[in-house]
Amino acid sequence: MMSSVSIRAAMVIAAVYGYFLIFAQFAFIELLRGDFSGHPDRWFFSQGFAEKLVLGWMAVAGIGAGFWVAWKSASAGKIRGGLLLAGLAAAIAPSMSGLVGYAVIGILTGAAIGISTVSLATLIKSWCGIAWVGLGTGLAYGCCNLPMVFLQSPEHQAWIAAGFAGFGAVVVPSRGNFSAELRKRTLPFWGVLIVFTALVWLDSAAFFIIQHSQNLKAGTWGEPLLWRNGAVHLVSAVLAGFWLDRAGTRFILGFAWVLLAVAGLAVNEAAGRPFGGWIYPVAVSIYSTALVAWPAWFSGAESERAITWRAAWLFAIAGWFGSANGIGMAQSLFNVPQAFVIISGLAVGAVMMFSYRKYWRFFVPVAGVILAGFFTIQETPSRPSTPFERGKQVYLSEGCIHCHSQYVRPGTADESYWGPVREMASTLSSRPVLIGNRRQGPDLSQVGARRSATWIKLHFLSPQSFSPGTTMPSFAYLFETEKGADLVTYLKESGEPQIGRVMNVISTWSPSPTGPSEDGAALFSQQCAVCHGEEGRGNGPMSHLLGKAPANLVEGPFIWSADSPDRDLKMARLIKFGIPGTDMPGHETLTDDQIDALQKHLLQLRK
Amino acid sequence: MCDDAIENESVVTASRHALGWLVVGNSIGLLLSLLLLKPEWQPGRLTYGHWVPLHLNAQLYGWTALPLVGWLFSMFEVDRGPARRWGPPMIWAWTSALALACFRWLSGETSGKIFLDWRNGSLWGFLVALGFLWAIFAVTWWRRKSEWGSLRRRISLTGLIGLAFVPVVMWIAASPKTYPPIDRTTGGPTGSSLLGSTLVVIGLMLLLPRVLGNRGEGKARWGTWVFFGLSWLVFGLTEIIGGGHFDAWQIGAMGMLLPWAWLIPRDWSGFVWPGNSGVWRMCLVFWWVVLVLAGVAMYQPGVLDHLKFTQGLVAHSHLAMAGFTTSFCALLIANLTGRPVGGRDSILVWHGGVITMIGVLAWMGWREGNGSDWMIVQAGWREVGLILRMLSGVAMLAASVVWMNHFSKS
Repeated sequence: MMSSVSIRAAMVIAAVYGYFLIFAQFAFIELLRGDFSGHPDRWFFSQGFAEKLVLGWMAVAGIGAGFWVAWKSASAGKIRGGLLLAGLAAAIAPSMSGLVGYAVIGILTGAAIGISTVSLATLIKSWCGIAWVGLGTGLAYGCCNLPMVFLQSPEHQAWIAAGFAGFGAVVVPSRGNFSAELRKRTLPFWGVLIVFTALVWLDSAAFFIIQHSQNLKAGTWGEPLLWRNGAVHLVSAVLAGFWLDRAGTRFILGFAWVLLAVAGLAVNEAAGRPFGGWIYPVAVSIYSTALVAWPAWFSGAESERAITWRAAWLFAIAGWFGSANGIGMAQSLFNVPQAFVIISGLAVGAVMMFSYRKYWRFFVPVAGVILAGFFTIQETPSRPSTPFERGKQVYLSEGCIHCHSQYVRPGTADESYWGPVREMASTLSSRPVLIGNRRQGPDLSQVGARRSATWIKLHFLSPQSFSPGTTMPSFAYLFETEKGADLVTYLKESGEPQIGRVMNVISTWSPSPTGPSEDGAALFSQQCAVCHGEEGRGNGPMSHLLGKAPANLVEGPFIWSADSPDRDLKMARLIKFGIPGTDMPGHETLTDDQIDALQKHLLQLRK
Repeated sequence: MCDDAIENESVVTASRHALGWLVVGNSIGLLLSLLLLKPEWQPGRLTYGHWVPLHLNAQLYGWTALPLVGWLFSMFEVDRGPARRWGPPMIWAWTSALALACFRWLSGETSGKIFLDWRNGSLWGFLVALGFLWAIFAVTWWRRKSEWGSLRRRISLTGLIGLAFVPVVMWIAASPKTYPPIDRTTGGPTGSSLLGSTLVVIGLMLLLPRVLGNRGEGKARWGTWVFFGLSWLVFGLTEIIGGGHFDAWQIGAMGMLLPWAWLIPRDWSGFVWPGNSGVWRMCLVFWWVVLVLAGVAMYQPGVLDHLKFTQGLVAHSHLAMAGFTTSFCALLIANLTGRPVGGRDSILVWHGGVITMIGVLAWMGWREGNGSDWMIVQAGWREVGLILRMLSGVAMLAASVVWMNHFSKS
């Protein structure tokens, strides 16, 4: 139910969480680093000990303040006080310097966060429903990802954080009636501590690694992606709130871990970063919403005092301890280690299995299947020795077979496009047989005879440049490793033996233009300019990537003489089939009328 | 996992998982149609080719196979036997094996054989799941055999022995070293192999009302059973002879399917079907007739040459899977569990989507058959077709989500 108290409660969550994200986790660390880097001659600063000491004091203050609230009981006044203290710390932080100054800010910040988070987690249930927790958490992440916030200097971010805290202190509702509503507790409290600690630990480590690796950061939450990330955070947290409200916590933490693990592994490779960049904010928003909601609704605590104690323990261990360890262990890493994912997965998995042990019958066969899937003998333990064989494996694993056939049907139009027909024996002797099933693109059985290795590679890198409107995506990522070269070798070598037969097809073909002439200039621009240039001078945008510069069709030299009796036929064949053995590709899909128009245009280009 | 004890919990679990896999398969199908329209939307290195095995196998080994597994649970009466508490876990094992395989296929580990992509880890995981499943049937049979009559005991034992060979057959079939006989003029299956695989389906359809114990009496007289045997004989002979779709005996083999378009509906009309499955029976009969007629027509010389490798083939695949097989599975689930699969509106939306998709793909395939380059040079028309296909996919996905939700709550 929507009420002004619910809205204010969501605003307070946004303020507290937003302050934590933008100041405690970000601006404060940048400020003290900036200040401490001014002492390169003093090992205490240069080795990072001072930074660790300040952050350590902040954590101790946060944990201590949280338990102090648990001891004294939570109140709306404590949230206001905590937020005002937080605002004060952030506001004066930019003017501080030295170890003592930042230690004071760190302690104030930690204490303010400890007081406000534990108090808020206790009282939130008396103000609003679970779905509002999702909105508050999402707004916090969303605001912090706004470019005008995220890209500010640390000083400005500190003042923005002070503004968050001040706004939060103003909108804190007055104390409401304690709601006795309790949701089903699906995990014991010790299990919750372990699961959240594992999640926060993995998230903190992954965040730190991505944030401090230029490549990872640019591909995951670089500047152009901030609006998107903010929106994904907001939507995911709101949905997580609804999920918790409707279905409780049964699967949500396991789901969040799966997403976080996939994102953590995906960002390690350039091609996976866009994917990881989508998944990571979803995972973080989901578990963060659950973390805020857990003490009040799902911890099984029936009194306000019990909720406060559980919140204090949860935030102390999962929040402060988990994040500190995650960041500490990631200091010198530039990739998210698989070991981190496995360790956190084992922790989450062990808790889930123990907590749901009455379902042991389910675990036994499922574990058997998974163990068999991961730890059985592999059929091909050794790496194929030749580039051809490795390239064939790439062809298989990339699923090329789902768009391309390697079978020219005898007696059909295939022969003039992708032909000639290959001997069946050689097709069937290949293992596995790669005839294919459905074509979205051309047949590839003779592509090695019809195209050069360079052209094939360039087409993989940028299919749209060579085939405008094609449904083929870029496979540039294959060329980050030797996979790309192996695939080119496979395609080239599997077709090359056919070159004599392809030449035979070319030598027997002649065009039969019938219709009105098409626009040769437009066709040239679409089909030829990428290599030969718009004016035909051999200077197209892709020309510098070819082994040999494309022909200058204006000034020559030319491979046919102007008065050659079969000039037109030669030119038509060249346009349709290219020059096998060179980078000049064929244009097999052009009609005879189009070839005729292109040929006339070429003659006009010639000086 | 289900907390509440349900009388036929294993069968219900199998049905629920099947519907879940239908949603997964349809979601991936929708993603595929989007990737054809916008190749640049590929998520990282997970290109179109990585997703196709997931779509195909989620439909075959999830949506299609699990209702049949549920049928086996029903036939062996696992939910009334001593191993009944192991039934749902075995379905989860199956789903885990398929999910694990999806992960492997997505990462590019495949045998390269369509619908038999199982390889290395995915193959082992699936074989272990099949092994678990067989074990539960074997234990049930052993503990319950004394309660069954002699005929039932023997038939079920024969079935159990046959099922023991399934993992072995899977192992052999999925191996890249084996490849079935092909029609050398198209690179596709022969008429006899199409006849053989369809006769298995015909056998299942003849069994369905009888094994489920539907009231009434089928109208399959001795002539039908003789023709069934004769069809198998023709399959065996033409399989040995081989040949392609220009050979009269292979065309004749396909022609043996035509009478079944009439024989099956006629046989079923003698049975009384549960009320909540009536609409699915009508849909099944409709798609069966269309499938047989279209299949035989497509195998004819000239037609097959025109459509091979084109979207026309995809249209036929959707006719078989989204039209016929979906109707069969829904009918089976409704009969086994007594729960409806979807309401009138969602069923209408599904079939509207299927008909639209088949129509669009068939049109694209025919145009493509006129010139193999149609998909490449007619980008405008191709985009129109792909957009219509995507919209059909949205409708089908929505309907399947409704079915899953409806089934779980009923």
